Amino acid sequence: MPDPTPKAVYRHVPISGLSGDELLALSQRSKLSLSREDMLAVQAIFKSENREPTDVELEVIAQTWSEHCKHRIFGSRIEHTVDGESEVVDGLFKTYIKQVTERIIAKKPDFVLSAFTDNAGFVKLDDELAVCLKVETHNHPSAIEPYAGANTGLGGVIRDILGAGKGAKPVASLDVFCFGPPDTQQEDILAKDVIHPLGVMRGVVRGVRDYGNRMGIPTTSGAIQFDDTYIYNPLVFCGTMGVIPIKDIQKEVKPGHVLIAAGGRTGRDGLKGATFSSVSLTTASHEEDQTAVQIGNPIEEKKVADFILAARAKGLIQFVTDCGAGGFSSAAGEMLSETGGEVWLENAPLKAPDLESWQVFISESQERMVIAIEEKDLPEMQKLADIYETELCVLAKSDGTGILKVKHHGEMVCELDCRKLHEAPRRHFKTEWQNVDADEEGCYISFEDPEAGNEMLKAVLSDFAIVSREPIIREYDHEVQGNTFLKPLAGATGDAPQDGSVIRVDGSNQLVALGLSLLPELGKTHPHLMGRACVDECLRQLVAMGANPDRIAILDNFCLGNPDDAYELGALVETTKGMAQSAEIYGAPFVSGKDSFYNYFKTDEGPISIPCTLLVSGFGVVEDASHVVGSSIRKTGSKLFLLGQLASGLAGSVFARMVMQGSEDPEEDGLVFPNAPEFDEQASFASYKQYNELVKKGAVLSAHDISEGGLAVTLAEMAFSGKAGIKVNLGDIPTTVELQPAEYLFGETPACIVFEVAPEHAALAESLGFTAIGETTADGQLVIIDDENTFINASISELKPLWQNGLTPYY
Amino acid sequence: MAKRPHALLLKYPGTNCDAETSRALEAVGFETQVLPIALLESHALDNTQLVVFSGGFSYGDYVMSGRFAKLNTLAKVGDGLQQFVSRGGHVLGICNGFQILTQLHLLPEGSLIHNTSGRFICRWAGLKKNAASPYLHALPDEFELPVAHAEGRFVGIDDAAGQYVQNGRAALLYTSDVNGSSQQIAGLQDETGRVFGLMPHPERFTAKQHHYDPDWNGDADHGWGYYMFKSVREAV
Repeated sequence: MPDPTPKAVYRHVPISGLSGDELLALSQRSKLSLSREDMLAVQAIFKSENREPTDVELEVIAQTWSEHCKHRIFGSRIEHTVDGESEVVDGLFKTYIKQVTERIIAKKPDFVLSAFTDNAGFVKLDDELAVCLKVETHNHPSAIEPYAGANTGLGGVIRDILGAGKGAKPVASLDVFCFGPPDTQQEDILAKDVIHPLGVMRGVVRGVRDYGNRMGIPTTSGAIQFDDTYIYNPLVFCGTMGVIPIKDIQKEVKPGHVLIAAGGRTGRDGLKGATFSSVSLTTASHEEDQTAVQIGNPIEEKKVADFILAARAKGLIQFVTDCGAGGFSSAAGEMLSETGGEVWLENAPLKAPDLESWQVFISESQERMVIAIEEKDLPEMQKLADIYETELCVLAKSDGTGILKVKHHGEMVCELDCRKLHEAPRRHFKTEWQNVDADEEGCYISFEDPEAGNEMLKAVLSDFAIVSREPIIREYDHEVQGNTFLKPLAGATGDAPQDGSVIRVDGSNQLVALGLSLLPELGKTHPHLMGRACVDECLRQLVAMGANPDRIAILDNFCLGNPDDAYELGALVETTKGMAQSAEIYGAPFVSGKDSFYNYFKTDEGPISIPCTLLVSGFGVVEDASHVVGSSIRKTGSKLFLLGQLASGLAGSVFARMVMQGSEDPEEDGLVFPNAPEFDEQASFASYKQYNELVKKGAVLSAHDISEGGLAVTLAEMAFSGKAGIKVNLGDIPTTVELQPAEYLFGETPACIVFEVAPEHAALAESLGFTAIGETTADGQLVIIDDENTFINASISELKPLWQNGLTPYY
Repeated sequence: MAKRPHALLLKYPGTNCDAETSRALEAVGFETQVLPIALLESHALDNTQLVVFSGGFSYGDYVMSGRFAKLNTLAKVGDGLQQFVSRGGHVLGICNGFQILTQLHLLPEGSLIHNTSGRFICRWAGLKKNAASPYLHALPDEFELPVAHAEGRFVGIDDAAGQYVQNGRAALLYTSDVNGSSQQIAGLQDETGRVFGLMPHPERFTAKQHHYDPDWNGDADHGWGYYMFKSVREAV
């Protein structure tokens, strides 16, 4: 017979008499992911109160202090050494993200409306509306359960938007993945139970598809990177953009407010997700940590989304946030962090009847939102919940005491001073980074064979880094909501690549462009330049699509392997510094960001870390629908112009990697590429502003950034529109120094855009300082020459299938 | 000024194209009301001219698409929709709405099942008119619309599809094979012509800028979807 009177299930954990070692052992045994110093701090908190903690309290502290929730590495004090020179970084986040943004906001008032305080930062679209963007990672869950991990990754970031301000409306999503190469041989995978990259890719894509499509949010932007290191730790970034009336951004929990939970029920799925994602993966993770992965139900979330948007429109919401990592403990904890209050766990509807108290409080079951309302509005909220068929409960009440009190069936299971809870001990790190020797000569690639250029271009176009993502893009509904004005695939036949997407916003004449950049290959040797180049590429895509360069905001998402490895953390610090440098010069504020550590895997042959990976995503205001510019050539007889100048160096390029992979021993064969192409942010930004003037005058027919694969790939991709051929003379191209042919064709210099201009506007483009480099032709060929040689002369209809079908056999 | 006709858009949990469909209907002169299914009562059909089943994933479509929506609709209004149609009312189903209308037997017998590819597809499709329809008269014989569905392949018993093409029930056909649909059927109408269901999404092509090709002209001021809504506006 089950016990007829339900009771709280909790226990006290004696820690006051434990030594440091014993505390650490307890942390590891209970999967708290707290360090020895953290555990000693916990011990001190309870010693000062003269009592032992409950298991609920320990779990709450573990979630709150987890790297996942608290971002303690970005807050830590780092002694950073580069080429033997040391400096102290007093908090990466504060120094290179927050303060940079604050300085930009001071120079550019009336653009950023909020940053770093809410689920997502807001920028102003027009006098009525604001836009926000949030990007999250869901790496560990996707590694051990790709479908569910990616499914709830997208579901989670959508809830972030629903919980931004008093409830923003999600209008578009992006997804970025890093996988092992699809053609990885099973026997080359060094640890058992690791899922083959194909299984990861198929599961992840379907997970994103099934959540985004069912929610009715178009998935419009994305990218995939492939590298061997991602076999063990695939990365899954999910982002969502939201729109809200400016008047509904400010929110506050006041004493007397009632906190209701709405949406899905609470269960055992997703226990300890926050702490699970704050340690490295091992083969055992695949066996033991399944309960850390949540199970998604998009229709539950769709119902709660409709409910929240309706409640916000009626002015019933005082504060809202989502249940993400840490579940109720972080949602209610955050909402009651100032005022304090009482939580009643027994009110939460459960998926299974016998959950212990701590499980109810920290479960990360999906599709739950916590909303603060005035008590008098409860009947009205209940009525709306009934209409949208979502479940609602009274979870807590704010009381102004500053103390978080959690009760379960009348028993106090947790009583913590909110201030102490948010004061995690500060961490300290040391780094060591060595830059490559800039004086070393790179190798020279011969183009003597007349077919060499064509063959190299074909190989690059077929590389996994370049091939079309079409099979994946087609599985995402990228047009729902009817506002996708620049689609991920366009051109005459709707299958040519674009630099990003542009979304019309209901109720506004202005549109929003979405862009993103990640360049992990470059970061392996040049992390500082990678940080700069990522900011530049993201911003440049937005500018190319027609966004005003002065109205762009960006996000940073970092993924790293082992932060305790001085070299890996050194790369991260360098990346952050580079990123901050470019953002400041471009005046592009960071409005949100996130980091994910411990993306390394302990195989029998040693740990394998991912390279320091930075995703910069951004959104920019396109001020009129007529400013939208796609990447596909529109007409024959147009002039092609180059914004920027090409620089020397092939390090980090797709071409260099391909050449090195084709050799048993690249160094022995002299295949070294020590230098990477440089750029100047000041000059680049001035050019972006000039380009935007051309866009506003309607002079730009199409534009495409130079990115992975270099100029040759950019031109080929533009010609994949099927409307014209292209002829370009390298002799007309401005360069910083003398380049070798491979650098012209396949170098990936940042800050360059190729754009198409009708002949009648060519003089205008020239007068603004842009250089004509060629024209569009009627012969259907891609021709790249200089005054003496023909480097590439290939039929576009022959090139396109190599690019278009490259991923098809694998997906 | 004449009173604007009323369109009632039914919203199930998981319906997600109601906002843009409502916007498209308003642009051609309808007054619209989006009604969550929890509020549906049989008299809701008394004062409307057009009932719209918008796209989405009603109840998740985890069982056969449109199945739960059908059961809950019948529980709410019984044969009210049939009566509405026989009184002269119009009913439009788009994508998931088409699936629901098929389940409700308001359209010729048949099923919409998984695409032959086994995948969701989001792309644009060429379409051609195969019969006169109050939903199509303002459109040219051939035009384009976007499609986005996993279960859009129409199949009928024996040669039902062939008969529908013959007798004009299959008012709209794809110009090439998109999803394995029998006879390339993209849209069906009932014998009155007032009930019409289609897999493509007219509400996603109301403006010129919706087209993937910025040079698209089509000799029209709006996207083709606009003209579909305009057709039914003129018909009611």
